Amino acid sequence: MMNEAIIEMHHVFKTYPSQISALSDITLEIFPGEFTFIAGPGGCGKSVLLRILFCAEKPTSGEVIVHGIHITQIGFKKIYQLRKTMGIVSSNFKLLRNRTVSENVAFALEVSGHDQKESKRKALEILGRVGLEKREEDSILALSAGEQQRVAIARALVNSPPLILADEPTGNLDAQTTFDVMEIFRDLHLRGTTIVLATQDTGLTRRYPHRVIHLLDGRKVDSPTSDEVRTKE
Amino acid sequence: MISFLQYVMRRTFQSMGGNLFPNLITIGIISISLLIFSTFTLLAFNLTNFLKIWEDKIEIIAYLKRGTPSSEVEPLLEKTHLLEGVEVVRYFSPYDAMAFMETKLGGQKNLLEGIQPAILPASFEIQLKKDYRNSTKIKEVVTHLEKIPQFEEIQYGQEWVETFSVLVHILRLTQWILGGLLLIAIIFITSNTLQLTISSRREEIEVMHWVGASPAFIRVPFYVEGLIQGLLGSGLAIGFLFLLHQGLFLYIPPSMQTWLARIPVLFLPPEIIAWILLGGMVLGFFGSIVASMRVLKYR
Repeated sequence: MMNEAIIEMHHVFKTYPSQISALSDITLEIFPGEFTFIAGPGGCGKSVLLRILFCAEKPTSGEVIVHGIHITQIGFKKIYQLRKTMGIVSSNFKLLRNRTVSENVAFALEVSGHDQKESKRKALEILGRVGLEKREEDSILALSAGEQQRVAIARALVNSPPLILADEPTGNLDAQTTFDVMEIFRDLHLRGTTIVLATQDTGLTRRYPHRVIHLLDGRKVDSPTSDEVRTKE
Repeated sequence: MISFLQYVMRRTFQSMGGNLFPNLITIGIISISLLIFSTFTLLAFNLTNFLKIWEDKIEIIAYLKRGTPSSEVEPLLEKTHLLEGVEVVRYFSPYDAMAFMETKLGGQKNLLEGIQPAILPASFEIQLKKDYRNSTKIKEVVTHLEKIPQFEEIQYGQEWVETFSVLVHILRLTQWILGGLLLIAIIFITSNTLQLTISSRREEIEVMHWVGASPAFIRVPFYVEGLIQGLLGSGLAIGFLFLLHQGLFLYIPPSMQTWLARIPVLFLPPEIIAWILLGGMVLGFFGSIVASMRVLKYR
């Protein structure tokens, strides 16, 4: 096999106090440089899985190892150090509406201890990579949904993380914009970044020939039939 | 380090500017609370000061029994002078007493016409050592004097001293009880306003969590915001108190001003002002810590 896994999950369960089971006995490994889809219908546990990976939630039981760190045992003081090694992208972008495009990207650097000038310079460089170099001074509100998602991706990339966790990054986008955004992820993957992308878009997993981990009702399944997926949806 | 400080100050002022109204309300409430506390501090300070001045002037008058032979005066003076705490003892004969009364009455001394000095009692005027010029120590000296049979009556303005001491104690007690209550109120108010500020910046904080900002980068600007609120609130309180103190003299009738001229009504000394400013900052800081503990958990 390639290297040591960048992500390992062993018999992970997540049950909420209301006894709703979000994840059930998940075991998986993702290796450096892999592009992995976490696929499944809405409510199957994709987002919970990603939230566990970036320590926004703790599993009820099981072991989760990211970058060789047992993240179920770390305190909040280590969480931020771990998050510097990953870029997080979500379907609702989470952009700051009162700031410009470049300010949104530079913000991620400033709050990580970089000075303003350096942050601005690096933000412009990253915006160039996602094709937004000419929109740097525009307000976030002046951008289309696809452009906003590209800003969110730029922000996730600004610390040059080796791992990107994307939760439904194309969920709110039309077909053409989805294609543009996926091209950015493809480019990142070619540059060696490990990408874990959660999606319920079966078209996407068919179009891009990458590894797919299917989830259904919080369980890892081989590959659900179309009927199974339709029933859940 | 410098860039961290620049970042903290920039974020703090952005936050305060962006949430001007809640910040002004917090500063106002801290200011009013500390103004109440400072007013009591000022009153207690002046009354204590007045008590000190009065105690410095305090002396005991021991009246001799009528018919005490003049031959006993000198040994009695010696004996009194040897008592612990006594600094100076002076003998006032009935003639000295008459002369004193004439001086006091001034133009109206003819009221004393026909009065023989002999009806006035002879007395000892006893000045105490500095350490003995307080209500507790005076009583010790008085107890010794009362044991001397040649003295008929001992006077030292005991009611004044005791009432005044009680008044000062009540004021001090009120000051600290009120201070305690206001302390809790200030922490509560600051923490609640900062919670409002924090919730208004929820998205920003979430992004900070996502991109791996350290807890110090997230929290310190809010701590500094609390410190600044406390400093501005306490500064305003001191400012208002100073204006009140100055205004008090403007509105006092001239007749009372002459009387008051003998009693210095002082403003708070710099060290107490510094303590109040520091106290305001510490309270604001604690308020922000409480707020951040409640709502700035790393997610």
